[in-house]
Amino acid sequence: MNILLLLIVIIVLFVVFVIGIYNALVRLRNQVKNAWSQIDVQLKRRHDLIPNLIETAKGYMQHERGTLEAVTNARSQAMGAKGVAESAKAEGVLGKALSKFLLTVEAYPDLKANQNFLALQEELSSTENKIAFSRQAYNDQVLFFNNKIQMFPSNIVAGMFNFAKRDFFEIDTAEKAVPKVSF
Amino acid sequence: MDCPACKNAMIILELDQVETDYCTNCGGIWLDAGELELLFADTAQAQQLVASLQQADVEVRSHPCPICLKKMQKVLAADENQPLVIDRCPKGHGLWFDRGELSQILARGNFDKEKKVIKLLSEMFSHKSEAKK
Amino acid sequence: MWEQIRANKRNSILLLALMAAVLALLGWFIGRSISPDPIAGLFGIVIALIIWMILAMVSFSSGDAIFLTASKAVPVTKAVHPQLFNVVEEMAIAAQMPMPKIYIINDPAPNAFATGRNPQNASVAITAGLLGRLSRDELQGVIAHEMSHILHRDILFVTIAGVMLGTITLISEIFLRGMFYSSMTRRYSSRNRGGGQTQTIMLVIAIVAAILAPIMATLLYFALSRKREYLADAGSARLTRYPEGLASALEKISQNKTPLSVANKITAPMYIVNPLQKKGMKLSDLTSTHPPISQRVKILRGMAGASFANYSDAFKKTTKHSTPIPSSALKEETVQIRTAGPQKSVDSKKQTRDIGDIMQKTLGFSFINCSCGLKIKVPPNYKSPQVQCPRCGTVSAV
Repeated sequence: MNILLLLIVIIVLFVVFVIGIYNALVRLRNQVKNAWSQIDVQLKRRHDLIPNLIETAKGYMQHERGTLEAVTNARSQAMGAKGVAESAKAEGVLGKALSKFLLTVEAYPDLKANQNFLALQEELSSTENKIAFSRQAYNDQVLFFNNKIQMFPSNIVAGMFNFAKRDFFEIDTAEKAVPKVSF
Repeated sequence: MDCPACKNAMIILELDQVETDYCTNCGGIWLDAGELELLFADTAQAQQLVASLQQADVEVRSHPCPICLKKMQKVLAADENQPLVIDRCPKGHGLWFDRGELSQILARGNFDKEKKVIKLLSEMFSHKSEAKK
Repeated sequence: MWEQIRANKRNSILLLALMAAVLALLGWFIGRSISPDPIAGLFGIVIALIIWMILAMVSFSSGDAIFLTASKAVPVTKAVHPQLFNVVEEMAIAAQMPMPKIYIINDPAPNAFATGRNPQNASVAITAGLLGRLSRDELQGVIAHEMSHILHRDILFVTIAGVMLGTITLISEIFLRGMFYSSMTRRYSSRNRGGGQTQTIMLVIAIVAAILAPIMATLLYFALSRKREYLADAGSARLTRYPEGLASALEKISQNKTPLSVANKITAPMYIVNPLQKKGMKLSDLTSTHPPISQRVKILRGMAGASFANYSDAFKKTTKHSTPIPSSALKEETVQIRTAGPQKSVDSKKQTRDIGDIMQKTLGFSFINCSCGLKIKVPPNYKSPQVQCPRCGTVSAV
């Protein structure tokens, strides 16, 4: 009788313990999701801005069709990307294409004086900054979450309910800015 | 800013980074002292131009300066042979051209030595002055 | 990390406590000087605290509204200055705080400030003069400095301390004036109060206290606001990862000669640089709300990275004083300084025009770019729904 009671108490305590960890994990996962949606908003904004930017630039930069096409292609690649890792890779390519495009723009003073283009450029560079800042917030959350599901005892609960590790949103910035301006 | 002559809200015109205030109702133009400085790119030269205008001896009711509301003075513009009277703020805030005064000044073509004011005004109001001809 | 900085402000709390002690002592001496009974001293303390509480309540319930109105700040939409909105949004994301309200002050003198007791009720305001002068990087540095003030809860501190300083000044003033008048009437009525020698001594002490208290409170207040200023500079560098932005913005601001017309002594610590300082007038170190700009610039430029630890190192190297950064923020982290953005052209004519345009847009002017190249700026009280270009004759809708 006593043993049974003890067993029940242990089971109840165990269940309460598991529920507690489970809830903590869910909360962390939601924070990761929330941080991701912040990035996602900015990525969408980036994708929306590009067609307008290219359209405005087209009239001025007839000889730069290659650069413009590279941006457009990278954009559709990025829009079609699924999941964090793939999307990070595609956005990295798009970022490189964009910075090359913006460097090329420097050689077109008429385009740089276009009010419409200037406004779009401001929006784009702000979006780039917002991506960078929200990326940092997201990666902090992911680090926290991944640590939690790998450490004892929460790793047991994570294993029971299939909490999977999340990917970092890493855009490699190392080889980004090497401008090649050809005249 | 309100027009000193008819009290309507004036619009601001900007050309080559110099502004004038223009009343679409009565056709008057306000040339601010600060804008003259920008036009000449020199404070002393602008102040000198405003100060050099001789006070006219005429009995005409003048308008209040749109900045300090002090009564403006009637001053002689252009050369002595064909005097033309415009308004000047006694505190040096700027110059005021009534409707007809602009076209007369433009027709004579001499107001300031380097003709910067003439050039600005004739460029800015080319539609109007052409319509006058 | 921001929570740690917020939690660790022992020094600021100590300074506040000292100010409170000055206030209480002042109340006690005045109470004792009126009556020899020790109860009167306690009574004086209570009255001093009540006055402080009333003033504090007023400034907490409507402090930002009063301050923003007094500074003639106008709330603006994104259309007035898209870049300003973008930069504030970026910094809100970086600091992970809600978007503050944005105001522009129509003043050609360059300055900026933040207000609001917590990040949920915060506002940042910037003068048209500053907005027109700064490049994007510099604007980011200034906005990040202001957002750091909000994050560090500096506005709260400055308000509490400011109100305390105001109370001390007020009580001293009333007491000294009261003494002056009552001594005059006493002379005429030649009434002898006969409180004895101790009473006379108490009276002298109270007068001395009433003269000294505002001075001491002012020094404490300034010490407090200077410390918070350095911390906000460090926060700005960390948020933007680009200390040079704020450094060159501060330099641009310091080149200006005109003091801000809407600032006064009590509100001065709210601004990014002391708005009252005139050129050629060297304020002594103790009585300045802000550290010297040259020093702030030197520290920012001496930073090897963009972390708080880097700021702390640069600070110690430049000033030889102990660091103003709380130890909890000095954890090991590597924050690299990012690369510079585009520079602003230094054409002074264009700058004057830009500042003017910002002021006109803030006032609600609508801008029309006529196809002939003429810019038409229509005031909000313009009556006609359309306007004809006097240069080419094109009619545009307002």
